[in-house]
Amino acid sequence: MTETARLDASRAVLPLFAGALFLLVVLPVGWLAVFAFSDHAGHFTLSNFRLLVTDPSFRDPLVTALALAVSVSVICSAVAAPMGYLVARTDMPFRRPVRLLVMASFVTPPFLGAIAWELLAAPNSGLLNQLYRAARGADPDVVLFDIYTFWGLAFAICCYTFPYVFVLVANALDRIPADLEDASSMLGGSAARTARKVTIPLALPALLAGALVAFLQTMTLFGSPAILALPAGFHVITTKIWSLFQYPPKPELAAAASLPLLLLTVVLLRAQAKILGRRGYTVVGGKSGEVRPVALGGWRWPAFAFCFAVLCLSVLLPYGALFNAAFSRIPSQPLTFSNFTFSHFQFVFQELSSTKLAIKNTFYLGMSAATCGTIFALVIASLTARAATLGTRALSFLATAPIAIPGITLGVGLFLAYTRGPVVLYGTLWILLLAYVTIELPAAYQQLQAAFRGISGELEEASRILGASRLGTLRRVTAPLLGPSLVATWCFIFVAVMRELSAAVILFTSETKVLSVLIFDLNESGDLAAISVLGLTMLVLTAVILVAANRIPGFTGGMKLGRRI
Amino acid sequence: MRTHRLTRRQVLQGLAATSLALPLLGRKAFGAAPAPSKVTPGLIEAAKKEGEAIWYTAVDLPVAERLGKAFEAKYPGMTLRVERSGGERIFQRISQEYGSNLHKVDVVNSSDAAHFVVWKREGMLAPYVPEDVALHYPKDQQDPDGLFATWRAWLCVIGYNTKLVKKEDAPKSYKDLLDPKWMGKIVKAHPGYSGTILTATYQIARDVGWDYFEKLSKQKVMQVQSSADPPKRLALGERAIMADGNEYNLFQLKEKGDPVEIVYPTEGTPLIVGPTGVLKDAPHPNGARLFQSYLFSPEAQKLMVDFGGLRSFHALVKDKEGRTPLKDIKLMKDDPVAVEKQADEIKAKYTSYFKV
Amino acid sequence: MSSVILRNLTKRYGTQTALDDVTLEIEHGQLVCLLGPSGCGKTTALRLVAGFMSPTAGEISLGDRVVSSPSRTLSPEQRNVSMVFQGYALWPHMTVAQNVAYGLEVRRVDRATIAKKVAAILQTTHLDGVADRYPAELSGGQQQRVSLARALIVEPETLLLDEPLSNLDTGLREEMRFEMRRLHDAYRYTSIYVTHDQGEAMTTADRIAVMNAGRIEQFGSPEEVYEEPRSEFVARFLGGSNILRGKAIDATHLEFAGAPIECHGVPLAAGRDAAVSIRQHHIALSNGVSRPASPNAVQATVVRNVFLGSTRDYVVEAKGGSQLRIIAAPEQSFAPGTSVWVTLPREHCRALVS
Repeated sequence: MTETARLDASRAVLPLFAGALFLLVVLPVGWLAVFAFSDHAGHFTLSNFRLLVTDPSFRDPLVTALALAVSVSVICSAVAAPMGYLVARTDMPFRRPVRLLVMASFVTPPFLGAIAWELLAAPNSGLLNQLYRAARGADPDVVLFDIYTFWGLAFAICCYTFPYVFVLVANALDRIPADLEDASSMLGGSAARTARKVTIPLALPALLAGALVAFLQTMTLFGSPAILALPAGFHVITTKIWSLFQYPPKPELAAAASLPLLLLTVVLLRAQAKILGRRGYTVVGGKSGEVRPVALGGWRWPAFAFCFAVLCLSVLLPYGALFNAAFSRIPSQPLTFSNFTFSHFQFVFQELSSTKLAIKNTFYLGMSAATCGTIFALVIASLTARAATLGTRALSFLATAPIAIPGITLGVGLFLAYTRGPVVLYGTLWILLLAYVTIELPAAYQQLQAAFRGISGELEEASRILGASRLGTLRRVTAPLLGPSLVATWCFIFVAVMRELSAAVILFTSETKVLSVLIFDLNESGDLAAISVLGLTMLVLTAVILVAANRIPGFTGGMKLGRRI
Repeated sequence: MRTHRLTRRQVLQGLAATSLALPLLGRKAFGAAPAPSKVTPGLIEAAKKEGEAIWYTAVDLPVAERLGKAFEAKYPGMTLRVERSGGERIFQRISQEYGSNLHKVDVVNSSDAAHFVVWKREGMLAPYVPEDVALHYPKDQQDPDGLFATWRAWLCVIGYNTKLVKKEDAPKSYKDLLDPKWMGKIVKAHPGYSGTILTATYQIARDVGWDYFEKLSKQKVMQVQSSADPPKRLALGERAIMADGNEYNLFQLKEKGDPVEIVYPTEGTPLIVGPTGVLKDAPHPNGARLFQSYLFSPEAQKLMVDFGGLRSFHALVKDKEGRTPLKDIKLMKDDPVAVEKQADEIKAKYTSYFKV
Repeated sequence: MSSVILRNLTKRYGTQTALDDVTLEIEHGQLVCLLGPSGCGKTTALRLVAGFMSPTAGEISLGDRVVSSPSRTLSPEQRNVSMVFQGYALWPHMTVAQNVAYGLEVRRVDRATIAKKVAAILQTTHLDGVADRYPAELSGGQQQRVSLARALIVEPETLLLDEPLSNLDTGLREEMRFEMRRLHDAYRYTSIYVTHDQGEAMTTADRIAVMNAGRIEQFGSPEEVYEEPRSEFVARFLGGSNILRGKAIDATHLEFAGAPIECHGVPLAAGRDAAVSIRQHHIALSNGVSRPASPNAVQATVVRNVFLGSTRDYVVEAKGGSQLRIIAAPEQSFAPGTSVWVTLPREHCRALVS
């Protein structure tokens, strides 16, 4: 083994990954920019943008989307922040199950939730409206909830967006050391005063960050609006972009309409970085002390009732409705012995020819995107976590950049990039894999980078100096130490792939159909029962994978990770 | 988007060839169709070697899947993959795929006959005439060049939920739908997603007038995508009236016992034809031809009619008992060439009224 | 023959210079301490030798190989050096035996040899009983020894030690100093030992390089740097010295607090400002009434008197306001405010390079 050969193997990693990232990120965005400034014949023009601001059929969806995103962000914050506080800092009963159910709502694809809410709250056939009319003996015209409205859509989005805010707030509150609160109570502050003056301000940056995430998620969401906004008679920007792919497709306009979304996201993310950067956010990282829950007294049960109500709306009722529709002969009728049927399962698994293909594709893509994404993020994090050179900073930027690219925009960009030479990937699973890895890379990278910070650089240096190469060290020392974080990241990507619709709906072909697209197609023709069956299947599949992943031997069990130096 | 364009040279060559060939063979100008093809053991054998056929179709999913299963049962060793989507989305998908040089589809069926005008113009279809078509189909339901034929036909009708609307209150015509009492009670599909509705919209706008749609858009209509969706919403009881949607879905639902009823509007009912053709660049050329022949066979047509509620032009296949025969219904006239020309304009105008 | 050579080694971060033109030669088998306060560049020097970073200028040779220069830096794994880290850097997911065996496994040594060598080194480092424990289950001293065993087992050309004892309790730390020296005597690897503790340096080192502000102030045996500090910094840093400042009278005399103080060492330049160092415990105190016999004496007033058991710690103020710190025998006590004579023995007054 010559010295130079070993030198090259490790040194080549940085440019290699920089190149790969460039392909992943810069290529689609570059094509997007090129198309946005081209006319149909390929000449430079600004007319796409002129149309975008002057034509109300483009302006209105943008304004609607903004209004929707602000509403969702405010509602989510108002609901999730108190929930986070109750779960993290008080003696409310059933705090663990509450957390778990919030996670269940997190892994629910928003489009599935939207369809479930169609079953529940369509103005006439919705189960809740039927129940209400039956209970009140009211006229068939009386409607309690109408999901096909702006607020109906906002509500359905909130149900699956609030977990982002909840997780950020609850984690921040988990990490506030008790002595900070103790210091306040020592000085004579009442519990309420301590909460107001110390706890809440410390959690505020997390809340702001959560509100921002909720805003961005809503802005870039495709599935729920496509399902609920169309019947309600309005477009948001993502559904508008999608409709531009109807025949004759107008990729130039779609590209131009994607760019404001991209810019807005970049601006907001910078704002978030500023908010989080200013206060000593890492102060909220002390490991000192047990958290002493605030005693709620008589408010314990009302507090739980509040959390339970939220979870009913986001998890229990929707899954109940899906379950009902999966077994009931007519999806809008409550399940009884007389209308119980397995025929929908039979249809989905025996007659529907795309089911097996879609499940297989989704499974393969989920596994491979999770594995590739985790490895990719791991290597990049290992390169950037230990040295701040110009090269690694650029790498870090590229790895984080896709966070600013909405799924539908990335879908358009990838479509433009890989339907022409030199590499034509459209029509293969590869293009979907690229899309998934690109979309999930930022989150995976950030998670692993944080995990790296928890491991002292000396542990790696010790291995290097004893003769192991950079990659050898990564494999033998760093990766095992990161074990639990790696599994968590893997699971995160897997779940995200299951949820993804916006890029897939642009990039799929008949052979590369995935579950989310299949469900979306079935929704188009109104096959709610089949959707329910597939939705439940998806939930089971996700649950099985998550449980299995957490049992991978050698990772979480049996290892004594006492001291993290 | 790159589409298939014939080069100037190819067109000239083609013209030269026809002008030379026509007098020699003494055929009529539109009679360039190939000789009818039987299902020969050789074709079955070749198809089985390919093992598969892929069918893009706009027909209702259960009908499509049932046909696929019947085909697989008849020809063991064959797999048929059904890709069901709205007609307009199928058209968009194929242009997306062909634009990227992807040839994934063997046999295509659309709910918008205008699509075949385009595909024919762009030279994407292969000439193939199944024996059944030549023997049992009216000439006006066949392409003169043998590239496609009307596989199915159906009507785009008005419907109502019998639990929510009494028979005597039900609308009789398109004009009736503009009555304020139907405000917020109508469900309707979208010409941007559904070929059926695009065709119907063209015919209704032509025969009733665009002001009908303008007024209808003020009725707080629930807008869905596919023409298969409104009948299902009707059956769920989500809306009392459907302004447009597939007759065949209503047949299926009604015969299953769901509370739905069909109305053939007094102004006339749009007739929709759904041709089927084999792609020239089909990845499984033999499988494609075998399936195309099967689709036009009496057994497939009967299945389509009985189970699917569709209308067949096959001379030997009769309508199911209890369904109003076509001859008793006042029909609007089909005009695929005009629909093809005006498609963009129709969609744009529609969007300007309905905002989606 | 020199085993480690730093030639004009410089490391800059932006405008900051961490290491400034350092040249140092370490002979084979020697243990050299880099001694200095934090931020003096000693750790930077060590990490440069380890190959964790590239120098801005200058070069490093190990044996006859140039391993670091601005244009080419061999990575750590190619240097055959090993290192003991300040935080030990034991891998928490491996047992003691696995930690120690790692370097040999990486070198693809066969299993039997690994087992034999691990057993031997664990015995030498008194760790035989804990081979199958995880690092988190060990005491601080045991962890430190595992870290040492792990570094020694690969028989490095050069052993680097980065403040290896700083995380230990005082008692254990003093005990381990002798242990380090014992192990060095046993293996005699060329070693570079970074510390800020002069006691540690004195106990373990063959030679000491005193570092300050990125430079080596003095390089010599422990006795040399202690007894003959060449600069004010070395004098102060190694075992509490007082610095007397004044005008030089001639080559061997300095005017301090109104008295001519005789000194030795670097010849002084008459009329120039000069500095002389004297250890705190070399200064004698006597009562202010009778002038001591030595001419090297000045009058002063006691400012502080702290009883420390075996000694007394004084601060006195001489004429002209200069304060001196004195460690004296405990029996004799002068209350603050008392006038005293301070004797500065000629042989302990050492003129410094200015």
